[in-house]
Amino acid sequence: MRGLGQSQRHEGVGTSPGVQLVSRRGLLRTTLGGAAGATLLGQSVQAAPPLPAPRKLLLLFLSGGASQLETFDPKPESRYGGPFRPIATSIPGTQIGELLPHTATILDRLAVIRSVNTGETSHFRGHYLLQSGRKVPGYPVLGSAMARLLERPGDELPGYVTLRRHNPQAYTDVGDAGFLGPRYEGVMLIDGKPPANITRPDTIDPAAAKTRDQIRQLTNRRFLERRVPRSIQSYADSYRKADALMRRREVFDLQRESAADRERYGDHHFGRNCLLARRLLEAGVHCVKVAHHDWDAHFENFHWQRQRCLEFDRTFVTLLNDFRDRGLLDETLVVIMGEMGRTPRINYYGGRDHWGDAWSMALAGCGIKPGVVLGKTNALGTEVVDGAVDAGDLFHTFLAAMGLDPKGNYQVGGRDNPIADPAMSAIREVLA
Amino acid sequence: MSPLATHLFRLLAWSLLLVGVVPHAGAAGTPFPDQIDRILDAAHQAKGLQPAEEADDEEFVRRVYLDLAGVVPTPGQAREFFEDAAEGKRERLIDRLLAAPTFSLQMARVFDAMLVERRVATIPSYDFKPAQWQDWLATAFRKNMSWDRLAAAMLQSDGTSDMGAAAARFYLVRDVEPHLVARDIGRLFLGKDLQCAQCHDDPRIKTYLQADYYGLYAFVSRLKHFRDDKQKLNFVTETAAGDVSFTSAFSGEMGKTNPLLPGGEMIADPTLVKGQEYRVKPEKGRMGVPTYSRRLQLARQLPRKQTSGFSRNIANRLWAQMLGRGLVHPLDMHHPDNPPSHPELLEGLSARFEATGYDIRGLLREIALTRAYQRSSRLPEGADPKRPPAASDFVVAALRPLTPEQLGWSVLQVTGRLSSRIQRYDRKLKEAADKKPDTASGKTSEQAQPAGDSRATSGLDERNWQAHRQAYGELAGELTGLFTVFSPLPGQPDNGFQPSVDQALFLLNSEQMVKFTRDVPLLDRLTRLADKPDDLATELYLSILARRPADEERQQVAGLLEGRQTAEERRKVIRRITWGLLVSAEFRLNH
Repeated sequence: MRGLGQSQRHEGVGTSPGVQLVSRRGLLRTTLGGAAGATLLGQSVQAAPPLPAPRKLLLLFLSGGASQLETFDPKPESRYGGPFRPIATSIPGTQIGELLPHTATILDRLAVIRSVNTGETSHFRGHYLLQSGRKVPGYPVLGSAMARLLERPGDELPGYVTLRRHNPQAYTDVGDAGFLGPRYEGVMLIDGKPPANITRPDTIDPAAAKTRDQIRQLTNRRFLERRVPRSIQSYADSYRKADALMRRREVFDLQRESAADRERYGDHHFGRNCLLARRLLEAGVHCVKVAHHDWDAHFENFHWQRQRCLEFDRTFVTLLNDFRDRGLLDETLVVIMGEMGRTPRINYYGGRDHWGDAWSMALAGCGIKPGVVLGKTNALGTEVVDGAVDAGDLFHTFLAAMGLDPKGNYQVGGRDNPIADPAMSAIREVLA
Repeated sequence: MSPLATHLFRLLAWSLLLVGVVPHAGAAGTPFPDQIDRILDAAHQAKGLQPAEEADDEEFVRRVYLDLAGVVPTPGQAREFFEDAAEGKRERLIDRLLAAPTFSLQMARVFDAMLVERRVATIPSYDFKPAQWQDWLATAFRKNMSWDRLAAAMLQSDGTSDMGAAAARFYLVRDVEPHLVARDIGRLFLGKDLQCAQCHDDPRIKTYLQADYYGLYAFVSRLKHFRDDKQKLNFVTETAAGDVSFTSAFSGEMGKTNPLLPGGEMIADPTLVKGQEYRVKPEKGRMGVPTYSRRLQLARQLPRKQTSGFSRNIANRLWAQMLGRGLVHPLDMHHPDNPPSHPELLEGLSARFEATGYDIRGLLREIALTRAYQRSSRLPEGADPKRPPAASDFVVAALRPLTPEQLGWSVLQVTGRLSSRIQRYDRKLKEAADKKPDTASGKTSEQAQPAGDSRATSGLDERNWQAHRQAYGELAGELTGLFTVFSPLPGQPDNGFQPSVDQALFLLNSEQMVKFTRDVPLLDRLTRLADKPDDLATELYLSILARRPADEERQQVAGLLEGRQTAEERRKVIRRITWGLLVSAEFRLNH
């Protein structure tokens, strides 16, 4: 057991990306799961534990900030409640907003948190805070963290892919990998287009590409003689991966999905990107983020929330049902959140403004206890009265649900850096 | 040898080193580069390490051009160096490179990357234009501005002065956000990352106290961004009041502080008569100027050898710039639990740097002259590459990735476009000067220089500088795409070599690379040699890799050209080979 403990401990995040940090629970499940586990326990200390079952993460990011009052935390009795009515859900006694009728029927498969209190009202800082669980800049966001922590030798596809409608603004999806470096930055697919330069231009014929490759390889082989091989090999490796990605570029092609599926997911950016997310996760991408845009309703909030929910609701439930039917949900954590909520107070323009003090998010899939509704806000929705959680707690929770150790460290550039903020902790109530 | 014996041996070696070798290493009269090498030699002997042989001329010429000029040499420059048979040619080349316009441009890029770390302001139009800032840096290096003055210029600039306005970019690119500014002043000027100390005493590093962080923070906590909407200009403004207190996130302990540099004394604000806190009172649309500025205190007090860490930080960074690794590594983690690999060496470099008045060009020159810098990147014969020596031992030259700028400019250099552009500008400027002989050297140099020969030289020098500046400025636009793909992440120090797939895809498939390798002077020049495959191979490898080809490589070039009769066919093949060399690890790395 001592050997196990040691090899579990830490090479993982340090030198060898193949061996992962695994929580005790995750490790026990994989090692005791079958005959392989039994053999392993009898083996010598050098033996590495088998890789845990691959878990995946899907982040549905409600960019701009969805209104908790029109979604998961309606306040029909409040003067701030707005025109929409609450409806019953598949959790007895729990109601959500009427704009999410499909979600209401499967709410028992989600864990809902109604008590997020980050106090953050800037889009810029909110995007970073909610995805990294940190206020201090420079840490990797969730997707980049997953790309690093779930990386395996032989991975051909990028670990983290972000799906967006348009090019990012300065504060979204740029520099997201923080100190982990460019290798763990999300590969961005804008409006469903494949990654840049994935196809060889027509002007370079196959013979030309072949000669070019011969020269590259001969030069590398000679250059390697008597030299420290690490950077030479990792450079050569990036070409092997580029080659693999070019061969597998159909992974990014939504046209390969059936017309019926495209119809079911909805003919809009969010629908197409959710279907693409399914395709990517099934192909082996570790983490996908789908940005759902335009929740930032400073004007005509009720019109906009309705528009947004109309897209979100049906697509989300289609996706969740699909994931369940395909067995993906057992190994995929699905996170639904934005960078903030919206003010209970309705402004002069019928809008709701930026709000960080009391808002909602939801979780589903692996590691999550379904049917939980955590936390409570006051009658006006202006304050959390029970079960307040911060962004750092959420980050711990995501890691724990993924079977990863939130107390682990990254080793980057010769220093240890805690994966999750040590002053925060996982939310046990929503963990399976 | 048994482990114990090894241990005793090392102990003995170290004590010999301490009592015997070291005092002599610092002895007066020994040239400084030799003093550096003696310290490293002693460390190698003590550890039983065999350093790599001296780099050959091919390795050396490429490396020193990349480091001091920012691009690989042209085939002409490489050949000239190889054919120079006289004594001291390396020193002469180093001096030539340090005096060339390319040195100032290269240093501007190096210090831009170091000080801005690829950041972009949240609202880019609220910043100085990167080109203006780069130009300010390049001009500073052309004048060989010392590091203490450079640092003071950045810390003091509020963007209003005529001369150093662009220096305010240090603040503006960080949105003048006091926490970000404080943290980066700690990291970049003092070598201490106090990030975690923002919320509590750093649990991992005993000396990083929360009070240190807030002491630094108090210098800049009153800073704010000021936008002049009429002029569309951005400034750094400061309020006259604002105290700093902090609470530990762990212990709940409270503290209160005035400006304080690590290891220094707290600086009290002067007592001002009520109503006289401002020289210019802030009003709507008008930027306030306080009577007493903590920012100016910072600019005065920090860039001095009395400030703990100021000299060591920059000495370590310049060493890392040339050798690929700091004596303290990571560069912003100077603290007792992370000692330098060679403490005396770092002390020596810092002391030397202080003694020369923080002369950056001078220190780089001395580092470039060391045997340590001029070692081969090939391991000693018989060494096992699978068990490479530690980078911190400096026994073999590091393989360092080209920066995005070195890579981009080198692609334009080897394909011949950079030099042809510089030549074109030089001709233009010469023609313009010949037309108006009276103002040939330009106004400023006329004022600054006495009449006679030196004036003519200075005019030539100025023209050369302008030709480079304009050619580089103009071609930079073509490299934007490449710089973006190869750029490290904003706000992150360059952290080793992380080649990524999108970079490989860019080099293989992008329209930019198609353009960079099509219709370039290199292909014209080489196609003319295609009748003589051997000469062609020589010129090809010299142009791209700054070395002559091996027999195996000559044969491959000859084989690929065999049977290609028309100029067009040959040109195609040459382009393929060129591109193959551009995507090799040998081209990608500074070795």
